[in-house]
Amino acid sequence: MTKKQLIPAAVLLILSVLIVIGSQSFLRPCVHEDGSFGSCHWAGQALLGLGCALGVMAALALAVRRAGFGIFLSALPVCVLGILTPGTLIDLCHMSTMRCRMVMQPAMIILFAAALLCALTGAVLSARKS
Amino acid sequence: MVLAMLTAFLALAVFGGSVVVLSLRSGLNSLEARLGADIILVPSQAQSKVSFQNMFLQGTTGAFYMDSSALDKALEVSGVEKAAPQTFLASLKADCCSIKIQVIGIDPERDFTVQPWIARSLSRGLNDMEVAVGCKVEADVGEIIRIYDQRCKVVARLESTGTGLDTAVYCDMDTMNKLLAAAEEKGVSHKIESGDQVISAVYIKVKDGCSIDEVNSRLNGHIRKVTAVRTRSMITGVSDSLAGVSRTVTALIAAVWVLAFLVLLLAFMLIIRERAREFAVLRLAGASRGMLSRLVLTESSLCGLLGGLIGVELAALALFPFAQLIESALNLPYLMPDPGKILLLAGGTVLLSVLVAALSSVIAAYRLSRIDPGTALREGN
Repeated sequence: MTKKQLIPAAVLLILSVLIVIGSQSFLRPCVHEDGSFGSCHWAGQALLGLGCALGVMAALALAVRRAGFGIFLSALPVCVLGILTPGTLIDLCHMSTMRCRMVMQPAMIILFAAALLCALTGAVLSARKS
Repeated sequence: MVLAMLTAFLALAVFGGSVVVLSLRSGLNSLEARLGADIILVPSQAQSKVSFQNMFLQGTTGAFYMDSSALDKALEVSGVEKAAPQTFLASLKADCCSIKIQVIGIDPERDFTVQPWIARSLSRGLNDMEVAVGCKVEADVGEIIRIYDQRCKVVARLESTGTGLDTAVYCDMDTMNKLLAAAEEKGVSHKIESGDQVISAVYIKVKDGCSIDEVNSRLNGHIRKVTAVRTRSMITGVSDSLAGVSRTVTALIAAVWVLAFLVLLLAFMLIIRERAREFAVLRLAGASRGMLSRLVLTESSLCGLLGGLIGVELAALALFPFAQLIESALNLPYLMPDPGKILLLAGGTVLLSVLVAALSSVIAAYRLSRIDPGTALREGN
């Protein structure tokens, strides 16, 4: 793997770490006072899972030199799923002023969109080399 | 690259700051338009029980009641042109999310504040158990929302106002009476000593030529247990806060401008000194002074263009998806300008970045034109 391919893999790893940590802390969904879980909680959990999967892919892209193209390509649908999960695939709270709509949804869409761009760049660079 | 980053920072500050200030101004105009009335009559307890202003600005829920006879009494007062009642009800936790929703009942026949706003999204009146929702309530037209276990059909989503009114649900008085009865069954009492027929506020329009202050005093004297509040006094507080934020943002933009211009000026001078030998060789190869100056100006303009585009894009990425977060943080009416205005502002910012970058390289270009190739090459050695 060339240095040019290492950069998108490293950025992808950083983004996935941000997604994983963010979905449980500073970008977490709404916290209900009574301890109950709304649908946005499950959206947050799904994002955590997708972030973990993306992280493993990025780590593999860094570790396994020959598998770069395939890994970057398989990261694409994960990123698309990440963009669609909050609000489209899993419903969020029904008020724009709620934390899940105000913070989690836009931030996660931006992070997954950036990851999508990274994966695309990595795939293109890997394909050129092969 | 560093120069592009500097101009990006400049563009980010100019575009971001301008959009925030414009949004705040639009929000204030929208608040003025939506209040519509000159005076609002509320029960005396409302002033202490709940911050009436917060209901408009932040959409906090609140419910307070007075006898519906206050409407007739208000109409008896000389100088009152129109009076329209509204009834408020704070829902229990809606099944969709964990916060309460403010339900506002209006009398479509009399209403002159909310009804024109609803009419823009719904050509007919609200029927029984039909509601219109503010744009921040995420419910689609045709969807059923449950308020105190009553099924209400969403028939319209209203335009954004950038105020707390966007988080409310609107219905007619018949629907509101049913919801009040359902709330009563759930143990949320709205009854007052004088009877069951309750309203929460009366919006009053004063006749042209009459003094609003005098009518306000007459209302306060004529109706017991009720306080007449001038809407202007509500807006003044917001307007003052807005002026403060505007001043701060403008000062910040100016500071960034001056700083960025100075740093760019210095950076171009240093770059020209670094590249003195390269330019000397170009001169010896036959390039004229004007050609070298044009080269520097073109390079700086391209840096400005790239930086401007990056800056505007970064600002857009922070401002548009997180508009609601900014509104909550500012606690002021915040309404994004229309897309045409935003595009114009973005274009202007990019143009400004190109101009600033080009201007800051003018001195460097002038110095370059006076450089002696022989001296430059000897100094390099």
